[in-house]
Amino acid sequence: MTEENKTENKSSRRKFLSFLSFGIFAGMFGTIAVSAFRFLRPVAGESKEEKWFDVLPLAEVKGDKPITCSVVVEKQSGWSSKAQEEFVFVLPQNGNQVLSSVCPHEGCQVVWRDESNQFVCPCHDSFFSADGKRLTGPSQRDLDPLPARTQDGVLQIRYVAYEAHKTERIERG
Amino acid sequence: MKNETKENRGWLSRFLRTKEFERALIDEPSSGLSAWARTTAGVVAMLLALQFITGVLLAFYYVPSIEHAHTTVAYIEKVAPAGSWIRAVHHYGSALLPLFLLLHLAQMFVRETYKRKTVAWISCVLLLALTMAVSGMGYTLPWDANAFSSANIAEGMTSGMPLVGATARNFLLGGTELSTLSLSRFFALHVFIIAGLILFTLLARFFILRERENIQDETITVWKSKQLTRNAIVIGLVFLALSLIALKYPAPFGPTANAPTGEYIPRPGPQFLWLFQLLKYVPGALASFVGGVLPPVFFGGLIILPFLDHSPFKKLIARPSRKFGTLLFASCFLLITVMTSIAIISDRRDAKTRDQLAKQKAEEDAWRAKPFEPLRVSAENEKPKDANKTNAPTRPDAYIKNCASCHGAQGQGKAVYPSLLNLEGQPRRSTEDMIALMDNPEAYNLKPPMKSFKDKLTEAEKRSIAVWILTLKK
Repeated sequence: MTEENKTENKSSRRKFLSFLSFGIFAGMFGTIAVSAFRFLRPVAGESKEEKWFDVLPLAEVKGDKPITCSVVVEKQSGWSSKAQEEFVFVLPQNGNQVLSSVCPHEGCQVVWRDESNQFVCPCHDSFFSADGKRLTGPSQRDLDPLPARTQDGVLQIRYVAYEAHKTERIERG
Repeated sequence: MKNETKENRGWLSRFLRTKEFERALIDEPSSGLSAWARTTAGVVAMLLALQFITGVLLAFYYVPSIEHAHTTVAYIEKVAPAGSWIRAVHHYGSALLPLFLLLHLAQMFVRETYKRKTVAWISCVLLLALTMAVSGMGYTLPWDANAFSSANIAEGMTSGMPLVGATARNFLLGGTELSTLSLSRFFALHVFIIAGLILFTLLARFFILRERENIQDETITVWKSKQLTRNAIVIGLVFLALSLIALKYPAPFGPTANAPTGEYIPRPGPQFLWLFQLLKYVPGALASFVGGVLPPVFFGGLIILPFLDHSPFKKLIARPSRKFGTLLFASCFLLITVMTSIAIISDRRDAKTRDQLAKQKAEEDAWRAKPFEPLRVSAENEKPKDANKTNAPTRPDAYIKNCASCHGAQGQGKAVYPSLLNLEGQPRRSTEDMIALMDNPEAYNLKPPMKSFKDKLTEAEKRSIAVWILTLKK
């Protein structure tokens, strides 16, 4: 073995050793980084089960005007679950359709005006017709309908939040 | 020319002082078993880094209050992806850290490094003391049955201290008894005070109080090629073992400390088993002596070790630091192994304890198999369940239609819209005033967006709204 070969062997061994150290450290760092990313990433669509909330007994859904109802909605985020009161509109003239009272513009609370037969957003003056269609104002779409069903003679809804501003309806989460 | 390129390449290290950092780390080269034994330093560094990283991650979900602590840890265990693994790494890492620090000290003692590298030696002793303290605090944080008993023991040992006992305990607990204040104190001590002292010790050892040794560049090159690889291999193996253990065995988690713990038998982590067993033999307040005097004697003895050879002792016995150090390490090793073995064996031998511990394990497994139960937070505007039974007026529908969109479902108000709570008894807010106000807000100095409801509400509706609003309380 020549002197040259020896030094070459030595340097390739050195290269292998530094490659090995680098590999070990990179593996450890990678394990931790991947776990940390998974741990901190927000859990999308946290509660997979569909929850239905009572709105009104079907017998009370009548008349020719939208009915404003308050619904206690159970909202789970992370380790806590909170009961929150939300308003919805039931439209007896529209096949018992249920509309969210959250304005599709900036999320203010839309109110029903009996005198003008319209829904009005008090924040930025978006107007909607009695069946929730967009009339004038900054809102980009109609009022959002909520999934509804009838169970044991009670009208129930699933409470869904949609992205604001958009023309199309995109479920949040 | 060659020198110049080297200088250029290292422009960043001039600012980072990596050269000095390397010099503080690197010792004379050794070979064979001695070189492998010296990898304890790397393992300690890895474990410390791991404790800091996993600890910070856990703090993203953990809440230090007795109402929330147990639920948030359950959330980490059951819901957060990789949460159980991260918590287990933090838990088992806290037991490995004192072990490897002790090994590191023993290795420095055997190689007589403590005489040359006094700063490294003392900072390592301090780190051992601080890691024991920080994990002692950490054990209380999950607020399960185990945490409760370790908090009780910390409390008992503090209050048993002579003279200052009661005062010290009150400062530790934030009162005379264990409460939510104690938990937030333990948390602050765990994550800020003691963890901060550990960080400060490390920084001081590497950047402020370095030994100024004359280390050749060649030594550094050799170290980088060989000792670094040895370190990497041992660090990697310890990390692999810790990860696999954490994957297979989640960190223990008992029932909440907020309910009576009943028959539950608490057991400390492996690094405290010796103390746990020792306390069985010590009557009354002597426990504080064991907890408060024994460790300082051991740590203090280790710290003065490098200085003994220059002391008057030298005239009495030859090589005093070697002899005294051997005595310290031997008695510490003997105490820990004997006490830990007795603790483990006596738990296995006693049928009642063994059965109860097995039952607890089975209950914990059953709890893990169940889905996570979120903490129910009652909303600020939520009606109490029995609200309908009282004679208080119920919320009129007219309020929902006309007022709620601004003043909130329960009159709590939002943004620019004022709250309607606690109006009863305020000047100009009688029932009649409220009705008049709805007709003509300007007469009551109220400005838009508040408007007149004169034509929109009937007299009866206005009255029912006014009566209901005046019942609202915060």
